[in-house]
Amino acid sequence: MSIEAGVLVDLDCEPIHWHLPRDRNTGALPDSRQLWDIIWENRERVLGFAHSHPGSGLPGPSHEDVTTFAAIEAALGKRLVWWITSADNFVELCWVGPHKLAYGRGPAMYEPTWMQRLRVESEYLISGPRAVQADDDTQDQIRKEVLYGSE
Amino acid sequence: MEANEARVNVTYAGGNGDLPDPVSFDAADGDVKGWIAEALTGGGVPGITVNGAVDLTDFVVDRFAATDVRPYNLIQLRPKTPFGA
Repeated sequence: MSIEAGVLVDLDCEPIHWHLPRDRNTGALPDSRQLWDIIWENRERVLGFAHSHPGSGLPGPSHEDVTTFAAIEAALGKRLVWWITSADNFVELCWVGPHKLAYGRGPAMYEPTWMQRLRVESEYLISGPRAVQADDDTQDQIRKEVLYGSE
Repeated sequence: MEANEARVNVTYAGGNGDLPDPVSFDAADGDVKGWIAEALTGGGVPGITVNGAVDLTDFVVDRFAATDVRPYNLIQLRPKTPFGA
């Protein structure tokens, strides 16, 4: 079980805003006026937005995703980069046209440094040797180490 | 502006502006979008320049009643923002 999360990213590929609304759930980030206000306030420096999907493997955009991509870009008057992560993989998407909902994969040569925190915020079951059969407290400890580093 | 009317604020194509004329505060979303699309297409929203077709299908109409600070009703058009697996 995981919970969707998002992050707005600037032109230096650094996080601007972590989008973790109270009403997010395992399959959706609901419509949010606040998110739009933050995107608009940062329109000069926004590069894109990343969000998580449940499960593992190579994720793909839903119809809800691509219609939101297109609407936000129409409002901003510019194209953005859209990342989607799963528990262990991610895609980088951008508009390739000509149809308004034609979004294709970008190069995604490097995983952005904030991607791991996005996975932590998405509460995926952490994988790796330490996490095998880890109890909840250990999972929490691993998440804190990813977020804040080892003490 | 009458008590049952609202100012209409639009964000589109990287610009933000108001429709020149108020509309009924309880007008249907589809009607509001139609009026805005017509205004945008005709260059009738100061502050917004549109090149090409206007498509407001995935935009949201938000309504805010008048307050002490803002003594008029406000309708704002913005893009939807949900994401889903």
